[in-house]
Amino acid sequence: MYFEITRKELTNPLKAVVSTIESKQTLPILANVLVEVENNTLRLTGTDAEVEINCTVPLEASIGSDNDGAITVPAKKFFDIVRALPDGAHIQFNQEDENRVVIKSGKSRFSLSCLPAEDYPSSPEINSTLSFNLMHRALKDLLAQTQYAMATNDVRYYLNGVCFDFLEDKLAVVATDGHRLALATEAFDLAGKETMQVIVPRKAIIELSRMLENSDDSLEISMDANHIKIVLSDRLTLASKLIDGSFPDYWGVLPVNPNRIVTTQTGELKQALTRTSILSNEKFKGIRFALSLNNMVITSRNPEQEEAEENLMVEYNGEEMEIGFNVTYLLDALSVMTTKEVTLHFIDTNSSLLITPKDLEDVKMVIMPMRL
Amino acid sequence: MPYAIRNSHIQHLPTLVANQIAAGEVVERPASVVKELLENSLDAGATEVEIEIEKGGINLIRVRDNGCGIRVNELALALNRHTTSKIKCIEDLESLSSLGFRGEALASIAAVARLTLISHFHEANTGYTLQINDIQEMSEPVPIASPVGTCIEVHELFYNTPARRRFLRTPQTEFNHIQETVKKLALSCFNVGFSLKHNRKVLTSLPPATTESLQQQRIAKLCGQEFLEHTLDVHEDREALQLHGWISMPTYSRSQANMQYFFLNGRFIRDKLINHAVRQAYRDVLYRDRHACYVLYLTLDPKLVDVNVHPTKHEVRFAESEQVHHFIVATLQRHLATTMPKTEENTQPQSIVATEPEKITKNTESTLPSLTYHIQPKPTRSAVQETLQTYQTLAAPNSSKITVPQVSNAFESEKTENFTEKITVPQVSNAFESEKTENFTEAIMPPLGYALGQLLGIYILAENKKGLVLVDMHAAHERITYEQLKVVWQTKKNNDVQQLLVPETLSLNDQEIATAKQYETFFKRLGFKFDFSDKKHLLILEVPNVLQKTNIGTLVQDVLADLIYLGVSDRIEEQILTKLASIACHRSVRANHQLNLAEMNNLLRQMEHTERSNQCNHGRPTWIQLTQKELDALFMRGK
Ligand SMILES: Nc1ncnc2c1ncn2[C@@H]1O[C@H](COP(=O)(O)OP(=O)(O)O)[C@@H](O)[C@H]1O
Ligand SMILES: [Mg+2]
Repeated sequence: MYFEITRKELTNPLKAVVSTIESKQTLPILANVLVEVENNTLRLTGTDAEVEINCTVPLEASIGSDNDGAITVPAKKFFDIVRALPDGAHIQFNQEDENRVVIKSGKSRFSLSCLPAEDYPSSPEINSTLSFNLMHRALKDLLAQTQYAMATNDVRYYLNGVCFDFLEDKLAVVATDGHRLALATEAFDLAGKETMQVIVPRKAIIELSRMLENSDDSLEISMDANHIKIVLSDRLTLASKLIDGSFPDYWGVLPVNPNRIVTTQTGELKQALTRTSILSNEKFKGIRFALSLNNMVITSRNPEQEEAEENLMVEYNGEEMEIGFNVTYLLDALSVMTTKEVTLHFIDTNSSLLITPKDLEDVKMVIMPMRL
Repeated sequence: MPYAIRNSHIQHLPTLVANQIAAGEVVERPASVVKELLENSLDAGATEVEIEIEKGGINLIRVRDNGCGIRVNELALALNRHTTSKIKCIEDLESLSSLGFRGEALASIAAVARLTLISHFHEANTGYTLQINDIQEMSEPVPIASPVGTCIEVHELFYNTPARRRFLRTPQTEFNHIQETVKKLALSCFNVGFSLKHNRKVLTSLPPATTESLQQQRIAKLCGQEFLEHTLDVHEDREALQLHGWISMPTYSRSQANMQYFFLNGRFIRDKLINHAVRQAYRDVLYRDRHACYVLYLTLDPKLVDVNVHPTKHEVRFAESEQVHHFIVATLQRHLATTMPKTEENTQPQSIVATEPEKITKNTESTLPSLTYHIQPKPTRSAVQETLQTYQTLAAPNSSKITVPQVSNAFESEKTENFTEKITVPQVSNAFESEKTENFTEAIMPPLGYALGQLLGIYILAENKKGLVLVDMHAAHERITYEQLKVVWQTKKNNDVQQLLVPETLSLNDQEIATAKQYETFFKRLGFKFDFSDKKHLLILEVPNVLQKTNIGTLVQDVLADLIYLGVSDRIEEQILTKLASIACHRSVRANHQLNLAEMNNLLRQMEHTERSNQCNHGRPTWIQLTQKELDALFMRGK
């Protein structure tokens, strides 16, 4: 197998693919990237056996089909070499024999060990039961507003990801770690197909949101019961296994008829919380809200008995109340709010808080209180 | 069912067979015979007991005592089953003060061996002897010259029960078991002298130990000098409960749980509740899988304990098990809290150079030989109090606002429960600002002295009255931080609860659900709230904030298992402490962190005021002393 390419053309595709590959592997081939040449096209694939990223690059120099082939090489080393070459470098990639690939560029020469392509985990076959198009920007926003609430390494494995719920008239994207929940929806027409709910694992979500662009370009999602595939462009594809499990009934945890409504400036609230958090317990981060007519007092106190107090002018005409929260959860939620004003919907000291952008229905953050 | 069994009739077993079956429980091996005979001697008020063993007790076991003896007309009776002079009715069991009461030991032994009994009753003029081969062949008692007391010889154990005989190990192994039995009884009865011979050689000779120093000598003989030198004396007197004895310093531990002797009202017992209590007390001062050593004596009203659980009487049941558990944990924790640096004039500091730490535990040690010994002097309570009082008076004029923690409180029994809201993180450090250093005269040199400098970025070198002090900076700081976090946590235990948006659901069996309900307040106190509305599932609605990101479901399930099996559980606290310990570790200074002298001195002062600061959270020592003598020896000075 042989091909030539410029450093500039190779760097970005390689970077996208290599990021799924964990370099510490017990199975050596999983630390490798699959390199294939066919029809004057270079195809790079990286996988961790759960998430696979796949990228194609057209080759400029015509090399002839006798140079076609497929091989796997150590991903991190390959990428580091390419990255370290000078800007305008021209790269020649040549498989010398079964065990060796030689990369040449100008006066540099690298000989890398390789493993046969047949041993590389094969891409999942998707017998698509649902497929549709979405704008890059739309999916990017949906994920940005929810992914922070995913659990990490929770024993309730179905929380370690983001749930995509395809409903009749909308797509609901939701994540929760059991303490707080983030939900974002987007109008969507299922066009008579059957509703479907899938949970995409944490790692795929993180990779995906890095790859999404702030553009109106369309992407194509297809899935079956076990896999999801997202074609981000004609060159870039991500495929992932789905988490097998059922996501908690998230509609059920949304507070019902909250009647104590606070409206405030997002930025102001966020800044006040950031300052208050400095003197909350550095590990457990408890802060307290006290609500009274058009006023919100935020206080914190740490084990050294240091205290912070912030007074905030807000719109509020409900009963007075106090309630405690983990300030990190509040800040996480506020950080992804895009509107200038937010609305906090309270019920009482022991019930969850709903945060929404002012006058908007499509984003909902729910946070459970903390008893301090 | 086999035909033969279906057609057989119900009959009374012959006495011999019945006794042999009973013997199966009581007489397992030669050591069990020795145990029963020694218990009888002790019950008879003996002050000297001689044990002679031949061939591991398989050929001969002879126990001679100077107790009250047996009346000639009761000699034969003593050998019958269910004959005892120790209780008359079941109520007597409630106030039992003797070791025996079941009246089946002699009968059981007689059923599986040839027995010779010689006894001289203390009010009689002469002794009598009687032989017995099986229960059937009993000779008439004949007079014999003998001192007051009883001598029982057991020949050819298991001669008529070949199955048992086959299970005997080598004579040496059997003798080792006998030795262990004698050890337990010798530890339980200090005022009785013991001598033990094997194949005509005296192996152990223990005079009656009536004074404290004789008792210590006995401990040293039985448990080793090393153990004695690395123990804390335990003394706790409450109305209903008393605990005293010796427990090992945390830095002296073993890989096996084999030097653990617990006596309840003078009787050696093995009890899971007690084991649990001791482990809990050592929880954050002992290295991972290490075991503490102890010789402990618990005294309580015999009414509150049932010893009649098993024929060997090793197991007991407590009426107030939770209270006993709590008492032991609190007492031991209080004593372990004193493992902190202190000055002491009259204790011989031990030498690192001169001791052979490996000696005792050589066989069992593989991983951590250096932890088997400790080089700090044994503390006494008065010494700490005095020292601290000196400090307090000294520090007072310059820093009147600052509270030095009342370490003397450590000995007030309620301390652990008594932390109140008012207590803040101890601000000990400030009491000894560095400028004051020069004010200290020789006479009131603090226990860890003053810092000289830092070594390898890891150790602090300091000089105190005795010589050189080496402190593991990170380990010491870690303990200080950890203890501070503990105080904060203990003062606001029940607060800081995170409510769950998605409750954790555990599917449990009926017993587990019932237990969770029964212990609802216990869980609540620790920050858990459950919902029982579902018959098969437990919903966890609230969890202590500290335990975020831990596997709550498994934890609750494990705790329920503890509660069902033991009636107590410290798993939640343990998890929380582990969390605090890891926070403490992250917050503590690391290797290569440069400290100036003032900072080093401040750390030394904090150590002196931090409970348990002799060892880090993992049980490793935080500091060692190299005395002038040891230093001199290294340079062969004055030789
Ligand atoms: N060494 C001894 N000195 C005095 N009396 C003894 C001795 N050994 C046994 N006896 C008497 O024999 C009785 C039966 O002993 P044993 O079978 O061990 O039952 P127990 O000790 O449970 O009463 C004892 O109650 C005691 O009266
Ligand atoms: Mg007896």
